[in-house]
Amino acid sequence: MSGYNELIKNFEKTRDYVRDFFIYGFKVRGDFVRKSARTYDDEKRRVESWFGDLLRYDDSIRGRQISISVDSEHIPENPLYQAFYSKSFTDNDIRLHFLIQDVLFDGRALPLKDIVDEIDSRYGIFFDEQTVRNKLKEYVSEGIIIAEKRGKTAYFSLSADRADVFLEEFNGLDDAVKFFSQTGEFGVVGNSILKAAGVENDLFFMKHNYIVHTLEDAVLPEIVDAIERKRFVSLRTFSARSGGAKASENFIVPMRVSASVQTGRRYIVGYIPAYNRFNSFRLDCIRAVKQGDICAEYDDIRAKYRKNEGRCFGVSFGERRETGNVEPLVVTIRVGKGEEHIIDRLEREKRCGTVQKLSDELYELTIDAFDPVEPMHWIKTFIGRIVKLEGGNAAARKLFDDDIRRMNEMYNGKGGETSDDIQ
Amino acid sequence: MTIFSEIYGVYYRIASRAMSRESLSDGDVYELIRELGFRDSALFLPRKLLPQKDSTDWGLLRRNADGSLSRITENAPPAVLTLLQKRWLKAKLSDARFRLFVDDETLDRLENRLADIKPMYRPEHFRYFDRFTDGDNYADPVYRANFRVVLEAIKACELLKISYVSGHGERVCFTCLPMRLEYSEKNDKLRLFNRKYRNGRLLNGSVINLGRITGIVRTGCFFTDSADAAGKKRGTVTVYVAPERNAVERFLMEFASYEKRVERDLVSGGCTAVLHYDKPDETELLIRLLSFGAAVEILKPEGFRAQAAERVAAQAKLTRGEI
Repeated sequence: MSGYNELIKNFEKTRDYVRDFFIYGFKVRGDFVRKSARTYDDEKRRVESWFGDLLRYDDSIRGRQISISVDSEHIPENPLYQAFYSKSFTDNDIRLHFLIQDVLFDGRALPLKDIVDEIDSRYGIFFDEQTVRNKLKEYVSEGIIIAEKRGKTAYFSLSADRADVFLEEFNGLDDAVKFFSQTGEFGVVGNSILKAAGVENDLFFMKHNYIVHTLEDAVLPEIVDAIERKRFVSLRTFSARSGGAKASENFIVPMRVSASVQTGRRYIVGYIPAYNRFNSFRLDCIRAVKQGDICAEYDDIRAKYRKNEGRCFGVSFGERRETGNVEPLVVTIRVGKGEEHIIDRLEREKRCGTVQKLSDELYELTIDAFDPVEPMHWIKTFIGRIVKLEGGNAAARKLFDDDIRRMNEMYNGKGGETSDDIQ
Repeated sequence: MTIFSEIYGVYYRIASRAMSRESLSDGDVYELIRELGFRDSALFLPRKLLPQKDSTDWGLLRRNADGSLSRITENAPPAVLTLLQKRWLKAKLSDARFRLFVDDETLDRLENRLADIKPMYRPEHFRYFDRFTDGDNYADPVYRANFRVVLEAIKACELLKISYVSGHGERVCFTCLPMRLEYSEKNDKLRLFNRKYRNGRLLNGSVINLGRITGIVRTGCFFTDSADAAGKKRGTVTVYVAPERNAVERFLMEFASYEKRVERDLVSGGCTAVLHYDKPDETELLIRLLSFGAAVEILKPEGFRAQAAERVAAQAKLTRGEI
């Protein structure tokens, strides 16, 4: 373990390990083939150091498997945020962080030379001007330091906004930050505010919360920024099925982040100029994002996208050869007496579908989506009630029939026991 | 400008906390590292925070004549709000749920203070395509008022009298100690964990949708004894996931929010998973497992498997046109 450090320079590599430990949970040392055994040992030790008690060790015949096992509903803070708080730095970085802020603490604006002199005279630590200039420049972009020009000289002062003061000054803001630090977009940033102010979330717990999404927060800001600036982006992606081995570059015009709150997947949907079509890319399969030039046709493309989005049940735009030739999928659902909650389910979960009452016990759900296969996963949640499945595509209907036959054999044996009512 | 920066890191945070004190001992430093650090931080941080004879430490703390430590800076480090944090706050101001927490006057002041800040993202940048559409109405003034009363009561441990319409349409009135709030991304609803209070005693826990509360009264009675939020009953289910149609990966992703134990089946390439779940959510779990079709088989417990078998048998009849 010589040379081991619990802090890291590069988030991307660690993100893969944390994801594998969290999502898969059954991988053993030999499964981590992307890097050397030494790298695995270091990454494993880091994850152990960050997540401590949340790790679980199970011995299997293949070896010891490590998993991060938590029920997101029962924890007040996403433990994966810890990975973001592990960036390495130099001794000078941390010294300058505290010394510059102390020199400027009283609200004065000082030129670079005076700051260097004061650090030297107050603390007996000498830094050359270039080192301090670089740190000041970095902190100006972080919003910690404010720069202003007086004549030809730049003066630097400390931002007056304090995390702890903000939370006290605005009544209710502390609770809002607690809430949003655990749900919604970029919760880790809210968590960093709480940490800075010495506050912990003790009020809100999150159900159906995919805490692993936070690992995508490393690449997502660049994508969102590109959407805002109407720019092309280049995505370096890998195939999840290949275990990360197959990589590719994708040049797209990003439209929107499309997220599932039920399957744990988030995507960036974009227009691919090379293929003249829209497509989606899983965020957890994106290694790096690079912004390109402004897309002159952005507004036109977005208008087309918004029109098409209404025919996406999820994120799929269907097979190109089928687009325009797909019949709507029509599903007839049986709803018994006292089962009005099923009608509620249809209404609130139908997305781009429409629901029509056929009789007291029968309801027809029509989904006119680009990809008729995409709704099938959801439709199967109504197993036991699906009277008829029509339209869509023949392969999907056959798959459904095969599934039911196989499931009936699986659960009820050959021939299948039958039941008339389900509750 | 990224959240993966040392300025938000654990080491900076520990150093800042140590430097916030006028005086501290070596033991205090170790305690801070234990409290705020990673498991291995105690191996790395003390020699950087505590003054070293060879000056290899960061030089942020000095050793006093009496052996105590104090910071070299004049002031305790300020917790400056960064631009990234302000941009995140600005983005949240547009979220309908934000209004649950702050009143109009506070929101106006916040908007003024952050007027020059560009939001980190806009709501239209995100689409949650499978979120249920019957979520809570956060714009409803009554809902907001109820939320705030509940929140204050949780903090103050105050008993509340709640009138409520159950899922079956029954009107119910009860006194309870509110314990905590739970939000579901999928349902877009807030629910209140509470323990009913009767004859001077806390009873079993219950969960109610905030949106179903029709009346709420503060009692002025505060519960001073410590009370645990009664957890929901837990169950376990064991399933086998077959290596077909990418089911293993899809299953593990979809059930990532569950506490579970997974073991790979070397022969088939599939996996066996033991999921822990809250008993009241059993039907929801059942239909989600069924949605994987024949790629997922519920193995045990028998009662859970029987529920699946019943639904599948009914479906088989429907598919064959026998019903």
